[in-house]
Amino acid sequence: MKISDIFSYAFSTIKLRKLRAGLTTLGVIIGIAAIVALLSLAQGFESTITYQLQKGFSTNTLVVTPGSGFNQMNRNPFGTTSSGFKLLINDTQLINKIEKVNASVAVIQKTCYIKFNDKEIGLTITGVNFTQFKNIYSTTFVARYGEIPSNPENDTVIIGYRLRDPWENGTILCDLDDEIEITWTTRVGIHSENKSYTGKVTAVLGEIGFNFGGGPSDYGVYIPISRAQSFFETDECNMIVVQLVDDSEETIEEVSESIKELFDNQVSVSSPTAMLDIISSAFSTIELLLAGIAAISLLVAGIGIMNIMIVSLMERTREIGILKALGMKNKTVLLIFLSETIIIGLIGSVAGIVVGWSLAYIVGRIGELSGMAPFGVGRRIGAMGISITPMLTPTVPLGALAFGIMVSVIFGLYPAWRASKLNPVEALRYE
Amino acid sequence: MKTVVETINLKKVYMLGKVPVRALNGVNLRVNEGDFLAILGPSGSGKSTLLHLIGALDKPTEGKVLIEGVDISTLDNGQLADLRRRIGFVFQFFNLIPRLTARENVELSLAINGMGKNERRKKAERLLEIVGLRDRMNHKPTELSGGEQQRVAIARALANNPKFLLMDEPTGNLDSKTGEEIAKLVKRLNEEENITIILVTHDESMTKVANRIAHIRDGQIIREGEK
Repeated sequence: MKISDIFSYAFSTIKLRKLRAGLTTLGVIIGIAAIVALLSLAQGFESTITYQLQKGFSTNTLVVTPGSGFNQMNRNPFGTTSSGFKLLINDTQLINKIEKVNASVAVIQKTCYIKFNDKEIGLTITGVNFTQFKNIYSTTFVARYGEIPSNPENDTVIIGYRLRDPWENGTILCDLDDEIEITWTTRVGIHSENKSYTGKVTAVLGEIGFNFGGGPSDYGVYIPISRAQSFFETDECNMIVVQLVDDSEETIEEVSESIKELFDNQVSVSSPTAMLDIISSAFSTIELLLAGIAAISLLVAGIGIMNIMIVSLMERTREIGILKALGMKNKTVLLIFLSETIIIGLIGSVAGIVVGWSLAYIVGRIGELSGMAPFGVGRRIGAMGISITPMLTPTVPLGALAFGIMVSVIFGLYPAWRASKLNPVEALRYE
Repeated sequence: MKTVVETINLKKVYMLGKVPVRALNGVNLRVNEGDFLAILGPSGSGKSTLLHLIGALDKPTEGKVLIEGVDISTLDNGQLADLRRRIGFVFQFFNLIPRLTARENVELSLAINGMGKNERRKKAERLLEIVGLRDRMNHKPTELSGGEQQRVAIARALANNPKFLLMDEPTGNLDSKTGEEIAKLVKRLNEEENITIILVTHDESMTKVANRIAHIRDGQIIREGEK
């Protein structure tokens, strides 16, 4: 029997039981749609996050912080490490001597109260050398309003994009040339003492999005390193950002080791690139989990296919007997039954891909409109101006199609096999 | 004259629950080309079993079925299926596929044999013309009378130029007038188209049209002869 005749025969039997076949197909549609929707949303989410992260940091940097990995976990609330090791601002000079290091910049960070006109907010103040910082973060440490001075005044302050208009409704918290009062609470013995100074905003940075791995932030407040040193009365820095000659894995590995050696393993060195890899792999795990959950619904659909084909087998026992008496081969009977499940699987998969993609698109749209992206963290991401565009890479629909057909074949195989093995005489006698 | 079917000491025992039933108990038969053999016997005499064995639908417990000299027990499943295409089977209850029209039922048999669409359509129409059903060919079995359904079944059995027709009580489910018409049609096929026919029945009227009659009882041929 010709393949085309087998398919048209199979199709005619499906047409005879439209409702039943339709419901079975619906099961496949739901399973495939779930896979496609969840995966394309997850992939869209991942690509958005990754893009934002990459925008916020330079791939050829390392971040050096005091404390070994173990000690860091025991870090006390005052920022010092239990080992008492301190990273000094001048340590950049030592780091700069290491091979494959382009430049390095020391960063002092303290939590202060900052008074913008009439509002007081607790924020992290970052003291850096503006010129060096700008060299390393040439795409993100860029002024949108005003200018980043290379020889800053003592009272120069640079603020992140979001601090200017934190509510995103045009209410300006702090604009260029505004004066802000910075207050730091320090401990003297058992008493606490407040220190304050007034700075002047000379630049507002452009929008960055996600702050990651030591780079500039939308909520950052930047003052010159010299001012930070005198104001906080310290030579200690919280971290040193190191710029490498390139972002190859060997360079990152090599310099990381050299720095650890230099400070006798009292520092930890992290690479934003490596962290990004970790995040990526975490996303892969989440995607796998989501796909797994969706696959279960497809499995249920597969059981539905098997169930319906076994019922069909019983109803058509006599018909199979007739077909065999007419000289149909066992193999052809098997193919007719398999074709029926393949047709159901194929229609279900194609419709499921369309439905799933539409669903992902609609969810993505809703997230965009309300600033509320899916997956819980939505509000925060949304507030940072990120919308999730579901991504439909060819692998997702093709994979879903293959999986859908595979499931329908696997679950159709047993009833098809049973049909092909029917004894013709017994089948003809079947009422 | 060429021998089409030969059975040698054919025995068939099947289990009815735990009780063995001897359906055939050593049947020897020889059917030549152009024969019209009617096998007569009461129900339970084993005549349907005999037909199933000759039609390669079932396997004997003992003995042999030779079709054109070939022992069919030596054939594998695929070869048996090929053989069945060249055996025209007509059943008491017609056994048409209900969702297909008369023409499509005949075409199905041709499609199983791998014939192309246009060719089989023409052939199906010609066959339905032979059995006198050309004007009813687009009707489904439920829209046809019993006699008409049996004509469709005969046209289907003739589709792949069979070596012989096996008819299992073809008139058993029809009234006597329709039965006579079918008998006439079968007779005509035998005489005009020279089609070999083996027919089992308990309807004495069929013996009028056959040219050989065998009586079967308790799984054995008890009497056989030319008419």
